[in-house]
Amino acid sequence: MSQQVIVEVSGLEKTYKKESFEVQVLQGIDLEIHSGEYVALMGPSGSGKSTLLNLLAGIDKPTAGKIVVGGSDMSKLSDSKLARWRHRHIGFIFQFYNLLPVLTAFENVELPLTLTRLSKAKRRQKVETALQVVGLADRMDHYPRQLSGGQEQRVAIARSIVTDPALLLADEPTGDLDSESAGEILDLLQQLNEDFGKTIVMVTHDPGAARRAKRLVRLEKGLLVGAEAA
Amino acid sequence: MLKLIWRNLLRNKTRTFLTLASVGLALFILTFLGAVLDAMESAQGSSDSRVVVRHAVSLTFQLPEAYEKRLKTVDHVEGVTILNWFGGTYKDQRPENFFPRFGAEPETLFDVFPEYRVGEEQQRAFEADRSGFIAGKSLAEKQGWELGDVITIKGDIYPLDLELTLRGIFEQPDALAQEKQIFFHRRYVEEAMSNPGIVGTYWLKLDSPEHVPAVVKTVEAMYESSAAPVRAETEEAFALSFLEMMGNIRLLFSSIGLAIVISILFITANTMAMAARDRVREVAVLRTLGFQRGQVTTLVLAESLLVGVLGAVIGAAGASGLIGFAAKAAEGFFPALSAMQPTPGMLGLSLFIGLSIGFVSGVFPAWSAARIDIVEGLRKVA
Ligand SMILES: Nc1ncnc2c1ncn2[C@@H]1O[C@H](COP(=O)(O)OP(=O)(O)O)[C@@H](O)[C@H]1O
Ligand SMILES: [Mg+2]
Repeated sequence: MSQQVIVEVSGLEKTYKKESFEVQVLQGIDLEIHSGEYVALMGPSGSGKSTLLNLLAGIDKPTAGKIVVGGSDMSKLSDSKLARWRHRHIGFIFQFYNLLPVLTAFENVELPLTLTRLSKAKRRQKVETALQVVGLADRMDHYPRQLSGGQEQRVAIARSIVTDPALLLADEPTGDLDSESAGEILDLLQQLNEDFGKTIVMVTHDPGAARRAKRLVRLEKGLLVGAEAA
Repeated sequence: MLKLIWRNLLRNKTRTFLTLASVGLALFILTFLGAVLDAMESAQGSSDSRVVVRHAVSLTFQLPEAYEKRLKTVDHVEGVTILNWFGGTYKDQRPENFFPRFGAEPETLFDVFPEYRVGEEQQRAFEADRSGFIAGKSLAEKQGWELGDVITIKGDIYPLDLELTLRGIFEQPDALAQEKQIFFHRRYVEEAMSNPGIVGTYWLKLDSPEHVPAVVKTVEAMYESSAAPVRAETEEAFALSFLEMMGNIRLLFSSIGLAIVISILFITANTMAMAARDRVREVAVLRTLGFQRGQVTTLVLAESLLVGVLGAVIGAAGASGLIGFAAKAAEGFFPALSAMQPTPGMLGLSLFIGLSIGFVSGVFPAWSAARIDIVEGLRKVA
């Protein structure tokens, strides 16, 4: 691993306060991820995997500790800077795809680009490329409800890569799919990592999925219990 | 962005339709009521803001010419003109040859009676000819007079005959009765009688009908202890009571309007709140993708404004259509309403109310959309 460090987490803690009692979800995490890595994050349900991923994505705030992604210390960013930062550096893939039902596949993928100054033609070109990468160029005028779960997730992946971010974060991307569709999604992520050099952190329950990654990180009761090469 | 707003609007078609329909209906009613009210007021309006000043004892007593200057200085008086009843006989005593003949001041007549419409050229010709006169259109037609015709009126009150040349024809289509009279230069009579400087009635045009009572009081008080005390009264005896009634109608209409707007506001606000609640998760997704708080606010607010404006346009367009139709229908039995028309002001007001409804209903959902916790929003099951 001679590549540069893209994610640097140190002493990361996250506590949720619920009325009177507190739940300490993350209790001091140290983690380094290098550019070009493909990391699988495993652990039992409720161990804090999603929480960690959300913190890396800059959509949640840590209680203590430091997160530096791509050189930016995220605790120092204002809300609006953080939004811009997410837009530029992060591609997020959800378990339940989260496409907007009122927009076509094309429009869903185009959505992040509407925040840029790109011309319409340039946007179209980028959206088509992204949809080609995920193999759905022929479905761009379909609405999400006209697509299968696996296709929806592929559109969601196209949306996450259309701005060409360095870091892809996927929270159980195959959690809601049958094994065949899941296999296609895993192939796609692997391709994005190997051919397009994307750094990927993927939360998963599935050991088979985890084996596709280059590195496995386990989380248990808010602590990293072992970092090993898969 | 625009596409997203539009699609969101169309997402729940029934809900959007119902909301649009209620906003539209409300503004339809408002615009229509407004037009009815305006028409009724304008039918009455001009004469309601006039005050007649005459001798306190009787109409047969005259007032000095000098009062004019002072009357002009009374607050809320915009114009003063003089009308002197001439009487006399045209041709013979038959009723069809009787019509009111007034000695008038051509320079101020039309300021005080703006509803008498006369071509500018004819007005100037009338002003320029000391022995000219103007006649109402119906009268001129009935008598077969044409411009340039000369008529003779034999005097009775005044010991002189008038030789008058027709210089203009005025129209007052809203009150055809008023087209059955003529006006000539009162100076004609004055000079013939070596300038006694007497006036039968002063007519005051006020800035607004509301000020009639105050002006009446002021004017009467002004000459109370003079040699020629005056009586001031509204042009029509019922004008004051009519005004009062109009005030009540306006109040009634305004309260109805306000009640409608408020209930519609609740409906739209509820719709927008529901729509926003359904979409917390989508807002969280947009925020994850990098949308700013402000952009999310814009998205929600724009949708709400769009509902308001579309509703207003539908309502106002519908009302304009009905107003045109109703105005035609009213021609026969309720002439006051036939002047009814959708004014730009009314349409503007409708648009403004629509926008306000949209804004007020959208502003809270928009504000909360901007403040959602992304992680919690993503957890929400749609
Ligand atoms: N907003 C929250 N408020 C309170 N507790 C939360 C909140 N989010 C997560 N938790 C708790 O934090 C723990 C870890 O959640 P999560 O990171 O989603 O776990 P995982 O993704 O590993 O299943 C769980 O016990 C969960 O109940
Ligand atoms: Mg989870």
